[in-house]
Amino acid sequence: MSLVMVEVHVRIMVTYIVFVLSIIFVISFVGVSSKPSPIYGGLGLIVGGGAGCGVVLSFGGSFLGLIVFLIYLGGMLVVFGYTTAMATEQYPEVWVSNKVVLGAFILGLVVESLIVIYALKSGEVKIVFEFDGLGDWVIYDTGGSGVFSEEVTGIAALYSYGVWLVIVTGWSLFVSVVIIMEITRGN
Amino acid sequence: VPLVYINIIIAFTVSLIGLLIYRSHLISSLLCLEGIILSLFIIATLIILNTHSTLASIMPIVLLVFTAFKAALGLSLLVIVSNIYGTDYVQNLNLLQC
Repeated sequence: MSLVMVEVHVRIMVTYIVFVLSIIFVISFVGVSSKPSPIYGGLGLIVGGGAGCGVVLSFGGSFLGLIVFLIYLGGMLVVFGYTTAMATEQYPEVWVSNKVVLGAFILGLVVESLIVIYALKSGEVKIVFEFDGLGDWVIYDTGGSGVFSEEVTGIAALYSYGVWLVIVTGWSLFVSVVIIMEITRGN
Repeated sequence: VPLVYINIIIAFTVSLIGLLIYRSHLISSLLCLEGIILSLFIIATLIILNTHSTLASIMPIVLLVFTAFKAALGLSLLVIVSNIYGTDYVQNLNLLQC
């Protein structure tokens, strides 16, 4: 009986899965920004990165979503994790072990749920612009040419127009390695 | 869909507020900075995917490249502070001598 109810809930929720993923995104950022202890902040960023990757994937950007996972989570957050393990040695505090942290997290959750309930009740949210319509689920397609396949994510990797940009970023990354070695060497 | 845009702009604002308020660690502000960059990347990707502006897809990738540079620089400064003082509490960054 409860399994049937769970299945009905899942079937109804699947059309709104992008919305649920973006809510998980916001909640994990509230968890990062209420600053428990750096390791748990990194954990919140990992969950947020996963939810953001899900949002990008469900809009059809497969290459950019995988870039979020591989380069952002796998590259930069691993560096953050090792530096956190090296630079801070103490007793880490969780989200529930300190009243300030827990209070900030609950405040963020309350604000987010207020905005979500207001947006779900009325059809629109008027903050500065007028975001209306929960039901614009049609991504307007230009009826793309069926000859060569993916439009957007295929040409994200086309480096025939951006050769100078590639050269500049490669050179600046090389210079940044030299700069960081000089900074870490100190006096 | 505009409602997803609202949620990601809320995430950006939450991370911005978390960057401006210090607690005791320096590295948690760097983590909030990473959160800002991630939310900017996702909202740029969503708008580019929705409006099918193909050539602007280079922009989120290049944004991530320069984010890596900035994160490495911030972390190296944190390593220096931690080498001098032992931990990275922000109350150590106080040159006042009186």
